[in-house]
Amino acid sequence: MLKLSTIQKKQIVGITGLAMVGFVLAHLSGNFLIYKGPEAFNGYAKFLHDLGALLWMMRAGILASFLLHMGFTINLVITNRKARVNRYYKYQNHRSESSLATQLMPLSGSIILIYIIFHLLDFSLADKVGIIQGIDYGLYGLVINTLKDPIHAVLYIISMASVGLHMYHAFQSVFQTFGLMSEKNQPRLVLASKVLGVAITLGYSSIPVYIMMNF
Amino acid sequence: MAEDKTITLTLKVWRQKNAEDKGHFEIYKAKDINENMSFLEMLDVINDTLTLNNQTPIAFDHDCREGICGSCGAMVNGVAHGPVSGVTLCQLHMRSFNDGDTVVIEPFRAKSLPVIQDLVIDRTAFDRIIAKGGYISVKTGSAPEANDTPIEKKKADASFDAAACIGCSACVAACPNASASLFVSAKVSHLVLLPQGHAEKKRVVQMVDQMDKEGFGGCSNAYQCQAACPKEIKVENIARMNREYIKEKSIR
Repeated sequence: MLKLSTIQKKQIVGITGLAMVGFVLAHLSGNFLIYKGPEAFNGYAKFLHDLGALLWMMRAGILASFLLHMGFTINLVITNRKARVNRYYKYQNHRSESSLATQLMPLSGSIILIYIIFHLLDFSLADKVGIIQGIDYGLYGLVINTLKDPIHAVLYIISMASVGLHMYHAFQSVFQTFGLMSEKNQPRLVLASKVLGVAITLGYSSIPVYIMMNF
Repeated sequence: MAEDKTITLTLKVWRQKNAEDKGHFEIYKAKDINENMSFLEMLDVINDTLTLNNQTPIAFDHDCREGICGSCGAMVNGVAHGPVSGVTLCQLHMRSFNDGDTVVIEPFRAKSLPVIQDLVIDRTAFDRIIAKGGYISVKTGSAPEANDTPIEKKKADASFDAAACIGCSACVAACPNASASLFVSAKVSHLVLLPQGHAEKKRVVQMVDQMDKEGFGGCSNAYQCQAACPKEIKVENIARMNREYIKEKSIR
């Protein structure tokens, strides 16, 4: 692909991934407005929509990041699989060197992809109607009504755990890929990555838990 | 003096006639093996028996048998160079095994390091990577005064640590992507940290390009290489290679 080296491809995967970390954090801060009630939540949604062209530019940016991230990852996986055609009869993973999150990157990534499709269908592309006790609360109501369903809530939490697990490996990995990791700062970066992964999972998962307990 | 302890093992060894042969596992009994033998000496003993029985001995690479030449190496029970960390296969001793153990012995595997026979692999891909810049150009002649070129202690140490790479290819063998990143980064780090290595700084780009061309995989930061390396080369070197790569690419 384009005669880029494996290092350059990995750098594209890293930088687009980092852009998406920013998106995930911004999205989460918006989601937290659900705790302030329907006006705040719907108001924020309206604010985003009123941005117009700027919103579309941001959407284009995140879509481009997503496509590049996935495209180059698939390309690299194909290269890597070809290099490793000769498999071992017996192979021991050094668990200490390669965390479970690292080994599960393909799985967590795939779950995220499937989740995004359903997420867009459930919320972004759906009619923003959510009737609670006879009153239409718009997007706020739609979120409440969707996540009130235990199946939706559980699948949502599993997806958010996948996002967290993905970041558990990914965030610190970007520093290695861009050559900013050293033996000295590695423990701190790995810790930051773990904290980020856990915080994102807990942050997003708190919403369906809150909804199921209160509605 | 007490007698040396002996153990008996079941070996499951990869046998492959040549590069074209599909290969298969063969079971051998290793009887009364002296615990103080090295792993290669144990194979020597097995090979003596095979030769006496008119069978083809197990082919394996070896040279110095003291862990500095980088010739030997095999996957022992799924671990490059066997269960003891920081040693090559020739430095592994039979006391690391228990009486009655089954030991699976496979060659280092990767598409770019094809098996020639049994446990012997073709590592010329590494030579072609080195030829792309794993050297410095200096005037030959009498050795220069040792302290002519002052070098920071920290840099000298880091360079020396990277220079410990013996090119055994355990990093490639252990990597889930069969990537040669640790090997290439060790060579790049070794030279780029020293002023003498600055003339050919573009080596990082050329060596990485050659590594890709040889069909090695890319780095996924799984760090299996660091765990497998008998010389304990750190993945910090891969970070340095990535950094140098960005620098060299952006200058042009």
